[in-house]
Amino acid sequence: MDRKLISAALFITVLGTLLLLPPLANVFQLQRRFLGVPAELIYLFACWVALVGAAFWLSRRLPHEPEAEPGSGDDG
Amino acid sequence: MLSSELVIAIAIAYVGLLFLIAYVSDRRARRGKAGFLNSPFVYTLAISVYCTSWTFYGAVGSAARSGLEYLAIYLGPTIVFIGWWFILRRLVRISHNQRITSIADLLSARFGKSSRLAVLITIIAVIGIAPYIALQLKAVTSSIQAIAGVGEFPGRTLRGIDEVGLALAVAAGMALFTILFGTRNVDAKEQHLGVVAAIAFEAIVKLAALVATGIFVVYVGGGLQAIFSRAEAAGLDIYSIGTFDDRWIAMNVLSAAAILCLPRQFQITIVENSDENHLRTASWAFPGYLLLMSLFTLPIALFGLTSMPAGANPDMFVLTVPLASGQEGLALFSFIGGFSSATSMIIVESIALSIMVSNHIVMPLMLRFTQGRGIGRGQGVSSLLLNSRRFSIALILGLGFLYFYFTRNSNALAPIGLISFCGVAQFLPSIIAALFWREATLKAATAAVAVGFVVWAWSSFMPSFAGSSVVVADIMAHGPWGLTWLRPEALFGLAGIDPLVNVVFWSLFLNTATLVVVSLLTSPSALERVQAALFIDLFRPSTAGSPSVIRGSATARDLRFVAERVFGPARAYALFAGVPAVPPPQFIDRLERELAGSIGAASAHVMLSKVVSGDAISIEEVFEMAGETRQAIEYSQELERTSEELRSTAAQLESANLKLRELDGQKDEFLSQVSHEVRTPMASIRSFSEILLDDDLSDAQRRRFVSTIHQESLRLTKLLDEILDLSALERGERPWDNVRIDAEAALDRAIEVCAPLAQRRHMHIVVGPRAGSAIVEGDTDRLCQVLINLIVNAIKYNDADTPVVEVRSEVIDGSFVVEISDNGPGIPANEAQAIFDMFTRGEHGRSDATPGAGLGLAISRKIITRMSGALELVPRDTRGARFRVTLPAC
Repeated sequence: MDRKLISAALFITVLGTLLLLPPLANVFQLQRRFLGVPAELIYLFACWVALVGAAFWLSRRLPHEPEAEPGSGDDG
Repeated sequence: MLSSELVIAIAIAYVGLLFLIAYVSDRRARRGKAGFLNSPFVYTLAISVYCTSWTFYGAVGSAARSGLEYLAIYLGPTIVFIGWWFILRRLVRISHNQRITSIADLLSARFGKSSRLAVLITIIAVIGIAPYIALQLKAVTSSIQAIAGVGEFPGRTLRGIDEVGLALAVAAGMALFTILFGTRNVDAKEQHLGVVAAIAFEAIVKLAALVATGIFVVYVGGGLQAIFSRAEAAGLDIYSIGTFDDRWIAMNVLSAAAILCLPRQFQITIVENSDENHLRTASWAFPGYLLLMSLFTLPIALFGLTSMPAGANPDMFVLTVPLASGQEGLALFSFIGGFSSATSMIIVESIALSIMVSNHIVMPLMLRFTQGRGIGRGQGVSSLLLNSRRFSIALILGLGFLYFYFTRNSNALAPIGLISFCGVAQFLPSIIAALFWREATLKAATAAVAVGFVVWAWSSFMPSFAGSSVVVADIMAHGPWGLTWLRPEALFGLAGIDPLVNVVFWSLFLNTATLVVVSLLTSPSALERVQAALFIDLFRPSTAGSPSVIRGSATARDLRFVAERVFGPARAYALFAGVPAVPPPQFIDRLERELAGSIGAASAHVMLSKVVSGDAISIEEVFEMAGETRQAIEYSQELERTSEELRSTAAQLESANLKLRELDGQKDEFLSQVSHEVRTPMASIRSFSEILLDDDLSDAQRRRFVSTIHQESLRLTKLLDEILDLSALERGERPWDNVRIDAEAALDRAIEVCAPLAQRRHMHIVVGPRAGSAIVEGDTDRLCQVLINLIVNAIKYNDADTPVVEVRSEVIDGSFVVEISDNGPGIPANEAQAIFDMFTRGEHGRSDATPGAGLGLAISRKIITRMSGALELVPRDTRGARFRVTLPAC
């Protein structure tokens, strides 16, 4: 389970990077506004909030014994 | 209108409050009542030192000028913290294990503890941060001017003080403040709890001030929708097209690099971290903090642009917008928030840099020039450290001020900060390589950082002086010496792209390429490999790894030979019962484990692999030994944490361990040399006996061969005797009691014994002036042995036409001194030390002299040392060697 969580942490980090950079970010350059606020601004903050939430969720579950990292487990 | 006096008085009072917080926190921590100061939230708030006046003032300016771009500065760090498990956690763990004190220390430690690399990193950091410090000075100066109402009305000055004078005063005040703040004492772990507490407090103040201003702006502007619509109507559509371009990527990369590489971030996040689990909280709380800090940036910028007069400095909207609405109280709060963000940055950055300067530049220089003299223990060192830190802080702020002075014509804050970001980002490739790439070498890291720095200095740092230097402006326009492809902002002809993208791309690309290519071309030193393993195999379970099976073709006999040495014959017999002549790998494994139980895993492995493969120790094996040492050190660090009492024990263990390893290494070397020395006579004995087995030999030939065999076996016996003697001396066996003896009598006996040898060589032992009688503490036989050895050497290796050996003795200053000189070839200066090592013989000498084993002098020196005396080679002008034995006379 721990190793899945660590993989999830890696996935979220990489996904976050991809979401915030072109070309994915360009998808939200809609030239539209919601309540006056441009779509890409809402998109960026939404991603940000989601990332903070995900980090919060992960931080409580990632293993406390750092030895249980994937790769090292294979040696034993 | 707020008066400038009031504003400055409030700023100073605020600084006093910070000082009080730091002082009280320090006291609490010292009394062991750190309490909430040790909470992960204080840690997170302290990390928010990332948000400087660039964030507080500059982000609004950046948003007003170029739209959403300002967000990139916070999204990069967000990603790094979301991925804390992969990089930050490693950095924290390594820094705890290795007691890292700065980013220069980290890279130097990884690359073979190179002090040169540390110096390079320190210099780059100090230069790279100067613009960043200048940014803070500029922001504080402008904010004082703005709130006192002078900034917006050019021509009016603050009581006759212009911008430069004000900035100088701010720099001096900040330097004084930081010195008072951060250099009161030297902590071995370089942790400053008081400072951290004050920084955390400042983080709350600046967040509250910015959010308050933001809420006010949204309220005054009639809600978000109204603000955005008004901006749209005014044609301020700055945030819609082309935001996510290459500049966006470059800024994200830079900010992600900066959160790792900025000296102050490294200091707070890594060095000041007291518990790895604090990172857990920071991983979401810090991005959350950044989000809150950025929430109102765009509304403030847009509202400022639409409501303020044209030409107003957007960097100061946070102050000028509330002022324009008559909200002086809020403006003052805002000013304090901005002041907080600047002071916290300057304090932490200059503390971090001053640690680097004093640890990596001042201390080594000091030690070199005084050669360790003059710097006593305790007080001397710490006051030197503190003074060098105070000096460094003044230097760093001075450089910041200079940069401010020369670039004061530029307007915006954010571009200045980006220059610093790009400078420190040059550390990133090496840091990543340090954590993940085993093959990265010191040469590569040094070259890579240097290349990155040069590109940065050329394309990012230098262009900032274009406004104040005609030469720079000319280079910017036409390139140096008309070489247009070297134009700083269009390097290698890459024109038409954003200057920031240009420098980020070229500097990081060339930096990384150099790192990789040079690493592939050079090989790391042993220490680098050891350190690389410590960095990269950080989380590897230490002993759980499967024992590496030694493959090879060892016979049971060879192995048994080893086992008997370690276990004794009885246990070895039991162990080897029923083992086939060529033992299976499983047996070798088992034997290794058994051996490990007695002599430690590393030694066992080395020993067995030597038997099995017959090779010299390979680097991998040295490695493993080092790995074991590391575990021992880690273990002892654990102990250190548990209690003060155990601490000294651990230190002793550590040093004993090191000593053991050292001895072990020597023993290995010794063993291999012994085998080599034994092999030579054995080989000739064997070959001559083989010849003897041949039947067609004349009697004369036979006799000659037998006599050779005889001589060789004599040599062998002598060698073995000496080895036994030496090892007995080393292990402290065959001890003797030092009693009062007549040294002169021993000398007489030695001369007597050597006389026949001298005669045979047609030599004369000249006995010079003698002490007559001298009583020393020692053992007559042993002393005699040493003197005979020296005289025999003097005779044996003397190749002069009229060889002479001279012996003299005297008592000087309570010491009995014997000097034995010859007129032989002498010993070259470069061998003067080596001849006392085992198995070293002089290069020259009579060709007919039978070579000894090279143990004589080593043994002699051991004996004399045990008698509290000294045996040394005395340099002389004339031909020949002179040995001197000095013994304390009674």
